[in-house]
Amino acid sequence: MTILTLTPIAVGLLLLILPQLLPGKLALSIRKFSRNVSFGVSMALFAFATYLSFTTFGGIDWLDINMGEYELMNDKPVTLISSIGVSWIVGVDALSLPMVWLTALLIPLSMLVEWDAKEGHIFHPLILVMEGALLGVFVVLDLFVFYVFWEMTLIPMFFLILVWGGEDRKYASMKFFIYTFTASVIMLVGILIMYFHTGDVSGVSGTLTGHHFSLIEMNSEMIQSEGLRHLVWILLLIGFATKMPSVPVHTWLPDAHVQAPTAGSMLLAGVMLKMGAYGFLRVAVSLFPESTVVFTPILIILGMASLVYGALVCMGQTNLKRMVAYSSVSHMGLIFLGIATMQPLGIAGALFMMFAHGIISPLLFAVAGAFKHHYHTLEIGSMRGIAHHSPYLAAHMMLGWMGSLGLPLLAGFVAEVAIMIAFWMSFGWLVILPALTLIITAVYYLTSMQKTIFESNDRHHGILPESLHGEEPRDITWNENTSMFILGILTIAFGIFPFIFFDMMSDWSSEFVSEVLLSYLIEQGVRP
Amino acid sequence: MNLPINSSEAELVIPELIMLFGLICIILIPNLGNASFRIPLTRIHVPVFIGGSRFKRTSNPKLPNQVSLIIFTFALFFGLMQNSYGTIGDTLEVTEFSRLFSLIFIAALLLATIATTHRLPARPNVKPPNDDDSENISTKKINALIDNRRQVDFHIILIMVGLGMSLMSMATHLFMLFVCIELASLSSYILVAFHKESKVGGEAGMKYFIVGSVASAVGIYGMSLLYLWSGDLSLDALSIKWAESSSIDPLAGIAVGLMLVAFGFKVGAAPFHLAAPDAYSGASSPIAGLLATASKAMGFVALMRILVSVTMPIEGEAFWYTAIAIIAVVTMTWGNLAALTSSNPKRMLAYSSVSHAGYMLAGLAAIGSGLGSEEAIELVLTAIVFHLAVLVIFKFGAFLVLSLLETEDRGHRLEDLHGLARRDPLVAGSMFLFMLSLAGVPPLSGFLSKFLMINGIVNISAGTGASDATSVLDWLTSVEPVFWLAFAIVINSALSMFYYLRIGLVMFFEEPEDSRAMKDAFSLRLAIVVCAILTVIVGIGPLSDSLLEMVADAINSFVSN
Repeated sequence: MTILTLTPIAVGLLLLILPQLLPGKLALSIRKFSRNVSFGVSMALFAFATYLSFTTFGGIDWLDINMGEYELMNDKPVTLISSIGVSWIVGVDALSLPMVWLTALLIPLSMLVEWDAKEGHIFHPLILVMEGALLGVFVVLDLFVFYVFWEMTLIPMFFLILVWGGEDRKYASMKFFIYTFTASVIMLVGILIMYFHTGDVSGVSGTLTGHHFSLIEMNSEMIQSEGLRHLVWILLLIGFATKMPSVPVHTWLPDAHVQAPTAGSMLLAGVMLKMGAYGFLRVAVSLFPESTVVFTPILIILGMASLVYGALVCMGQTNLKRMVAYSSVSHMGLIFLGIATMQPLGIAGALFMMFAHGIISPLLFAVAGAFKHHYHTLEIGSMRGIAHHSPYLAAHMMLGWMGSLGLPLLAGFVAEVAIMIAFWMSFGWLVILPALTLIITAVYYLTSMQKTIFESNDRHHGILPESLHGEEPRDITWNENTSMFILGILTIAFGIFPFIFFDMMSDWSSEFVSEVLLSYLIEQGVRP
Repeated sequence: MNLPINSSEAELVIPELIMLFGLICIILIPNLGNASFRIPLTRIHVPVFIGGSRFKRTSNPKLPNQVSLIIFTFALFFGLMQNSYGTIGDTLEVTEFSRLFSLIFIAALLLATIATTHRLPARPNVKPPNDDDSENISTKKINALIDNRRQVDFHIILIMVGLGMSLMSMATHLFMLFVCIELASLSSYILVAFHKESKVGGEAGMKYFIVGSVASAVGIYGMSLLYLWSGDLSLDALSIKWAESSSIDPLAGIAVGLMLVAFGFKVGAAPFHLAAPDAYSGASSPIAGLLATASKAMGFVALMRILVSVTMPIEGEAFWYTAIAIIAVVTMTWGNLAALTSSNPKRMLAYSSVSHAGYMLAGLAAIGSGLGSEEAIELVLTAIVFHLAVLVIFKFGAFLVLSLLETEDRGHRLEDLHGLARRDPLVAGSMFLFMLSLAGVPPLSGFLSKFLMINGIVNISAGTGASDATSVLDWLTSVEPVFWLAFAIVINSALSMFYYLRIGLVMFFEEPEDSRAMKDAFSLRLAIVVCAILTVIVGIGPLSDSLLEMVADAINSFVSN
């Protein structure tokens, strides 16, 4: 895991800095090869991550890991800052493993999509640095290092939007940075309050402050005051919900997505949004189950608001990327609902939603990016009958939209159904609300699909957008096609065989419910 | 032979002796020439070397800079090597604490020297360009100003600053403390005015001098009142007297208050900070950097001596607690708000330095609340000193970047930073790193120091919140006010993000006004990169541990005194 995290950061930074220091000729040759090197490294990491994920058949049985246990952990934590109790502890369990694999998968794909990006000698290494930071967030079990990686993901993304973004990139990147940074500062306050209450539990010695950041050794009893526990939970919620993003704090997302380059959007939607959900489950829900139960109504309201609002706003969008961005908001709402059910099935559904959305939304953004690339516009109504001009693009677009609206046998369906069933089990007929929203989702996807892909006055030519200036549009290039193809295959594969990851997710969530939640619920006299 | 100090004492002050020796060298060496003395009535010429026409090497205008570079490097090296401690006479004591601060001062001066290598200070008889001069004439004037043969003066004063500051950290007697501060301050007033290629230099120096000397006068008045009260100005005697008196004598209270004005001016605390932004923006960047790091550290040494070692009661709240707490919050907020609106990068850095003074004052105020255990107080002190130490790295780093811009007569407007990333990505990247560190983004060193500060303050307030509070509101209303100091730091850090980020934004986003590559200033560039690397590795990893250990040792020696 250490290798997985640190290699891309080191290689990426090296590729970025070396050409600055070395004399002209050498620097030029490094620049020439830097995108190949970046791609190679990310592929190697993907192979490594795949090997790790599927060693269920070999060494590690992922279903056999108990709550609070981690595989591939470094036994001896390496001390980073001894004075304040920061150490390097990494490990994965069933919660983080799918995310790790997803990240390792998406990085080479997004590099491939933007294979010909301008200034690729900076672009690709930046994405590589991003990979390291993202993987770091998912594998690190020390809250300080977690926070560092959390912030570190901001910087490459900030530059991706700022340098390679659309027309309004300055505003978008600034907004993105300020929103997420402010939120994570609030989250940091929560982490700090937790930090100040460690130490009396495990009595870590040798630190100047008498506290430590190790997540493994934290538990909810360390904070005696119930009010304070709730406060911490809310601070963490604000931090994580902004990243997800949930409705009142979601406004950075559409701007960032619309302006970001395709690879940036893919990573933003595919992995960065999941960081919020992952962190919420890993820190807030796991450590403070009582607060989660107490604040379930908040989760439901936030989730419901995101779901309904996101879907409704989607219907009014004419910008392709903006529509996909709002649909992301809507799907993230489902994750909150899944967690709020407090059922093993619901949480597992939320986890699978994270994963499925992590495959489908990059596909959608890749499609949107290709559309922008070849048709020079993102307006949905401006183009009709793509199926004729760009059959590959149209096929990928359709698959992505179908996946996103939750067509059976595609990955999104499994997650939605799991969440809905769990929601029904917990809240009965309230389930009608989210179910109805899915219809809205279907409406906006189907109408825009009809508008863009098929409908055309002239069966042979369709309407070409003005931005093409009368040129004949091309179909997507090989690199775009390859990476969309892989994502599409995976959408179908995980729709038909969800158990590859769904098993370990449901295992994690049932263990979480039985070991963490149940004891608390029984104490409260609630029969789950 | 009867030397004023014996060899075992001399061993304690090797870095200072090196600087003293260097002071002599730097006066002598540039004056070496082929002069000789003819013994009367003979034809024998005895070379005396002083005077005459100078040798080629000694007339090199870069020589004084090289000499002072060597001096500070040696002083830094021997300071790091030194591990013997003891007293010298009645007024100086070398401890881990004073040694650490000497190192901080010398490191800052070393950086200032490096920064002036490519930005030579002015020749006195050339006038700065007027607004109505043609471009040709003004370029000529600036070249004449920058190509300077009399920069010996500059470096002599620089070394004097080093001596004054370094000795100041050892002083255990208020009078000695004051004399050393004045030595350093008066020198720094001159250094501010030394920025002759811009018209604001002299004005800034004058302003800084007037305000500074008024503050000093107020301080020395307070000191004389304190002398009236105790009859002895050595810190030990004062603290014993203070501990003995059951209630605070108004005379002593006023005296300490007046001294706070003087030292508050040095650290740039509101409302005594008003001259600071003018001074910083008028001074050349290396000197502004010096003021923002070393001079501030000097002020904090004095404040810590007065507030913590002398007037801190054994238990209960110190009488200055509320005052310092209010000053701290006002200082950090004022600094940040003013920095938000300033478009001159130097002025912005000056205000940011004011707000950093606010953070550190908040730490001092938390100590004064008297709630903390000994460990918690030591932690806050560690945080303050650590912050002062790392400020030298990234705050000076930022000023080094401005110095680099100044070599082409820029760096006074935000527009000068526009598109720096295109002209020189490495320097711009480093500058961005410095900005992030100033803002306190983990894992950079600026975060670690701010974190320790918040940690210390929260530790002091720990246990004050009712542990049986059931709602958030209950808990919030039951914490001691000192907790809100930590809160103010967090809020202000978030606020400060805006203007630090703006620097990054214009560097990476805006079009440069002039797209020529930067001047090739090797040593300056090297110093910038070294600072950038240090900013990261002092934040996380073994180096931060060893630095923190050093600081903790220093605080131990400070507290046990």
